[in-house]
Amino acid sequence: MHNRPIRLLAAPLLSLVVLVALAGPASASGESVGGCMAERFAEAVEAAHGDIEHAAHDEAVQKQLEKCFEAPSPILPETNEIIWGGGAFLVLFVLMVKKGYPAVQGAMEARADRIRADLDEADQAKLDAQSVKSDYEARLGDARTEASRMIDEARGDAEKVRADLIARAEADAAGIRERAAAESEAAKAQAIADLRSEVAAIALGAAERVVQSSLDADVHGNLIDAYIDEVAGANG
Amino acid sequence: MNVLALDFPPVSHLFEWPAILFDGTIYAVNKTVLIYLFAVVATAAIFLAAGRRSAPLVPAGVQHIAESGVTFVEQSIVMETIGPEGRKFMPFLTTMFFFILFSNITEVIPGIQFPANSRMAVPITLALVVWVIYNFVGIRSQGLGGYLKNSLFPPGVPKALYLIVTPIELVSTFVVRPFSLAIRLWANMVAGHLLLVTFAVLTAALWGAMPPTAIAPFAMLILMTGFEILVSVLQAFIFTILTAVYIGGSMHPAH
Repeated sequence: MHNRPIRLLAAPLLSLVVLVALAGPASASGESVGGCMAERFAEAVEAAHGDIEHAAHDEAVQKQLEKCFEAPSPILPETNEIIWGGGAFLVLFVLMVKKGYPAVQGAMEARADRIRADLDEADQAKLDAQSVKSDYEARLGDARTEASRMIDEARGDAEKVRADLIARAEADAAGIRERAAAESEAAKAQAIADLRSEVAAIALGAAERVVQSSLDADVHGNLIDAYIDEVAGANG
Repeated sequence: MNVLALDFPPVSHLFEWPAILFDGTIYAVNKTVLIYLFAVVATAAIFLAAGRRSAPLVPAGVQHIAESGVTFVEQSIVMETIGPEGRKFMPFLTTMFFFILFSNITEVIPGIQFPANSRMAVPITLALVVWVIYNFVGIRSQGLGGYLKNSLFPPGVPKALYLIVTPIELVSTFVVRPFSLAIRLWANMVAGHLLLVTFAVLTAALWGAMPPTAIAPFAMLILMTGFEILVSVLQAFIFTILTAVYIGGSMHPAH
């Protein structure tokens, strides 16, 4: 099957070889003027039974010889060439209409259809890719929005936690401060009470030693307390 | 012909060829006929070989030649002159283009060196076929009356000018056109062949007498050979596009 086109292409090459072999450029014809005159004069001599002198002076022969100078008109077509040329064109036209042209046209249309289908396919693939891309971008957008929302939410939560922690810390600190103050007040009161009783005891002991009297302890105590309160009120 | 000691062959020696087969009959086969047959074989072989191959994405070889030719005829000739409805003439115009091209290009093929269209047979035959076709298309498209009216009395021309225009159009459209078409192709190929022969003969003669002086005509011979390749293609294109123009003009008189 693959050899058929090669065989077909060998045909014009073979015809070229035949053409060169049978009718090369050197085989151009066209009778020369001299050849024509010689041939016609020989015919005239033969017609005159070998009388060269008679043939040479015959006006009819001379006119025949002069015709050898007339070149054929190159513009007038030859009948055989019209027949072969017209026939060759007709045969080629029939071959082209029936076989050659439809085959080539069919091959071209098949290729055009194939390219068109490939382009349509490529367009469809492009549309699909664009659709996938749009979908992907939409999803990416959604993911970004979601992430942003989650970050905002987390930030809000963190802020809330921070505020709670601060509030709790502040409350704890206030509690601690209150407890510390209360403890401090209690310790202070305790210290004052301890100091008062210590001072009272010291003062009582000292007074007892100094005065050497048997004053009632309760009376002395009352006196001392009254003194201390007086002193405390004076100090502010 | 002897000019300045150069022996130039007579014109009959350049364009007339002896019969190879059927000598003396109207079926005589000579070199010109063989070139026509070569044009048929070459065109048919290229298109049949191209059509047999499966269509690859990128055409190559003969397929490329055939498809380029078809695309060229379609896009540069038919679509430019007739329009989409001219596609039905594609097989005819494609056949014509390749047949003329291969009949011309033998002018530069070594060993052949003769353009078959430098003989009047095919140019005049094809021109007459074209004449029949475009007149038939005109009558079929517009009717006989409409076609004659639009051809002889072109629309848009002041009525007074019809006195001049109508006889000119009559002669131009129905008489001169096929002959101008044929003679244009024939004369171009004759002139090209004469030029190549002139420089070839001059080169040969000077080479024999004074070899260095042969360089100039030999350079011209090479240059003209390249030019004749261009002329071969161009004349095939011109003949085909004029055919399409005439057919298009018959189908669309307004344009």
